[in-house]
Amino acid sequence: MIPLGYFTFLSAFLFCTGVYGALTRRNVIGILISIELILNAVNINLVAFNKYLGTPDSLGQVFALFVIAIAAAASVVGLVLIISIYRNAKTLFTDGIHLMKE
Amino acid sequence: MHIAHLIPLFPFLAFLINIFAGRRLKKASAWVAIAASTLSFLFSLKVFQDFKAGAGSYDLGTWLVLAGKPLSFGIIVDPLTIMMLFIVSFIGTFILIYSMGYMHDDPRFSRYFAYMSLFMSSMLGLVLADNFVLLLIFWEGVGLCSYLLIAFWHERPSAQAAGLKAFVTTRIGDTGFLIGMLLLFFTCGTFHFSDLRSLTGPEPVLTIAAILIFMGAVGKSAQFPLHVWLPDAMEGPTSVSALIHAATMVAAGVYLVARCFPLFVAHPIALQTVGVIGGISALLAASMAVVNNDIKRVLAYSTISQLGLMMLGLGVGGLSAGTFHLMTHAFFKALLFLCAGSVIHSVGIQDIQKMGGLFSKMKITGTAFCIGTLALAGVYPFAGFWSKDEILLAAYSQHHPFLLVVAFLTSLLTAFYMGRLILLVLFGSPRSEMHAHESPLSMTVPLMVLSAFAFGAGFWGAPIKTAAVEGQGAHLIMGISTLVSLSGLGAAYLIYIRRLNLLPISVLSSLEGLKQLLVRKYYFDEIYDYLFVQPCLRLARAAFDVDFNIVDGLVNFVGFATQWCSGFVRRSQTGFIQNYLLIQVFGLVVLIVWLLKI
Amino acid sequence: MDNFMFYVIASCVCVSAVLAVTQRDVFHCALWLAMTLLSVAGIYFYLDASFLGVVQILVYVGGIITLFVFAIKLTAHIGDRAIEQINRQWPLSALVSMLLLSICWRIFATHPWANICLNTASVSMAQLGRSLMANYAVPFEFMSVILLAAMVGAIVIGKDKR
Repeated sequence: MIPLGYFTFLSAFLFCTGVYGALTRRNVIGILISIELILNAVNINLVAFNKYLGTPDSLGQVFALFVIAIAAAASVVGLVLIISIYRNAKTLFTDGIHLMKE
Repeated sequence: MHIAHLIPLFPFLAFLINIFAGRRLKKASAWVAIAASTLSFLFSLKVFQDFKAGAGSYDLGTWLVLAGKPLSFGIIVDPLTIMMLFIVSFIGTFILIYSMGYMHDDPRFSRYFAYMSLFMSSMLGLVLADNFVLLLIFWEGVGLCSYLLIAFWHERPSAQAAGLKAFVTTRIGDTGFLIGMLLLFFTCGTFHFSDLRSLTGPEPVLTIAAILIFMGAVGKSAQFPLHVWLPDAMEGPTSVSALIHAATMVAAGVYLVARCFPLFVAHPIALQTVGVIGGISALLAASMAVVNNDIKRVLAYSTISQLGLMMLGLGVGGLSAGTFHLMTHAFFKALLFLCAGSVIHSVGIQDIQKMGGLFSKMKITGTAFCIGTLALAGVYPFAGFWSKDEILLAAYSQHHPFLLVVAFLTSLLTAFYMGRLILLVLFGSPRSEMHAHESPLSMTVPLMVLSAFAFGAGFWGAPIKTAAVEGQGAHLIMGISTLVSLSGLGAAYLIYIRRLNLLPISVLSSLEGLKQLLVRKYYFDEIYDYLFVQPCLRLARAAFDVDFNIVDGLVNFVGFATQWCSGFVRRSQTGFIQNYLLIQVFGLVVLIVWLLKI
Repeated sequence: MDNFMFYVIASCVCVSAVLAVTQRDVFHCALWLAMTLLSVAGIYFYLDASFLGVVQILVYVGGIITLFVFAIKLTAHIGDRAIEQINRQWPLSALVSMLLLSICWRIFATHPWANICLNTASVSMAQLGRSLMANYAVPFEFMSVILLAAMVGAIVIGKDKR
């Protein structure tokens, strides 16, 4: 049997990859992709715990389901926003969009 | 009824009224001042009456507790004080009347009267004070008023400089006065004048204290070496010079010495110092007056010289002689200054080399001027003769031959330069274009009143004194002094009217260097500038540099450092979200490590 | 056999994830993301969460990846391929992620739960449905509201302002 620790490590790896991508990608859509990775990492964690430790009313899976739904909603809104920004700034690269700079 | 302490209050009230409501009162402010001064005079008469009936000094209350002893302050009433009260209030009133005419067109009319009232108030308080501390308060008051009035026309830089010079020079004297006073207190434990007779203390300390107190008198009475401010003080209006720098304030120094006379008598060295300084000042100033061409400055030097004579009189032990001369001098010097003011008011210039032949156009002023001159020169029977004679007699009878000779020389020079003055101003032919006219009544009436006193004031003290010293060479002295005065006047007449040269040309030309020395006032101003003023200025500049560069530099540096730091830190605000995110994740890592591993 | 399957799927996940964040062309990233998501679905199947795995494929791969592709194509420039996709702080962020990973590893590895191999019964779809409708009905309704809001928001934001 695969110990639970392997799943958590997998989840952590995916999470950190997502973090790296969020900090490093110049394209905004690239950042969104990284965030999807993070969300999936969380999901794996939840489902693994559900399987290995047992949760009342299969809470883990229900939670993971909800996370998927939320992620979908977030991606939708995010992408629409990106398209809107693209229309205004004509560029999608984060260095070019810096209204907050000193 | 104790009313003496009200005497200084009336002029003080006039001061307040004129300062606050002067703009509205305009010409009426003069009347306020004159009314207050007249009231003071009337009250002084009453005080005199009370004194003859037996009333004396009294206390007004306790003020502080110093070193365990309560300091009470009160009023002293004795002949000296009463004489001073009379002089100040009487002459002051007439000078105020005169000022109405003299200052008529001045834009700061009411301010002038306010300052004059304040001065009179301080002077009256000064002579009424019964202890050193109270006297010092009024002493400073008269000093302040002197400064304000010298620099009255403060648009003129020369007036500003003169005012400052007067203030600083008298300040030097005042410092000595303060130290002497405190020395006296710390060794003998008292500030009161009534205790001066019975002082006990270490001899050298008390002598030093006395000399230091005398230093205050030296400053105020413009004696050597602090005489430099009085000629410059002529920048102020002439009526100011008459009141302050002829009759009253400069007499405050003499008054101080007279008041502390028991102290000085007990320490012969101090008394000798008084006499010597007086003698030096008398001769020094008289010599400088001989070559001066400004009508007011001649009179200023004359004042210094006469004050020196008074100090000389006090210094040889002649208390009554010195104070008698103080009284007569007040009258005829005030008269002379007012005459000079009248002349200046009518012809507009002050250089006597440009005047001449004014007598025919200004009869009243001219007569008054002559009377004043004769009084100052000490011609019998004018007032000055009696008082000067007293001083000479005192010097003779107390066996001070050197000071006696000095006094005679001074009288000779006095007669000479005063003769020179009136001969150049009033007689002879006019040396330049002048439009002279007689002054208005407000100016001539005081002249007439003061002339009467300049003539007759001597008789008050004369019969008493001559009777006392009959047969002790009094007649000899009187004779020599008359001879001296007449020869001085005669020499002036010969030189300036007849244009004779009394000395051969060769001698005259070799005296050119001496004349230069006198004209340049013995280079006193230059010496003082080099010794004191310049180092002081350099010190001030150094202090300014320290403050400007170091202190301000430090403050500016703090500001600069803050700016630099903020500029440095500002670079973390990149506006780039992923930078912020990076720091957040790093913070998360740190947080986890810290919270879970420790 | 079981374990071997796990290792295969897990390595699939890891490799495609790494590739998804490092590709130069963002379209390739999206594709690799799809691969990652499929592998994650595989994990779910491995963990007996079959419904979840199907939902994952349907929603994520079917819906979200489609969206991504659309967005990418609508916002693409011709010269995108030439532009550097990694920004200037990549060493630091790599370092930080490594740190994060190592910390997580430290924590998980030393935890008593790390080595359990319990095998609870798998959850049937009926059970899932029942708990969704009965116990977690409120969050379920909220979910629908959120999705509605997302939809409306998307339409509003994406509307052409002209």
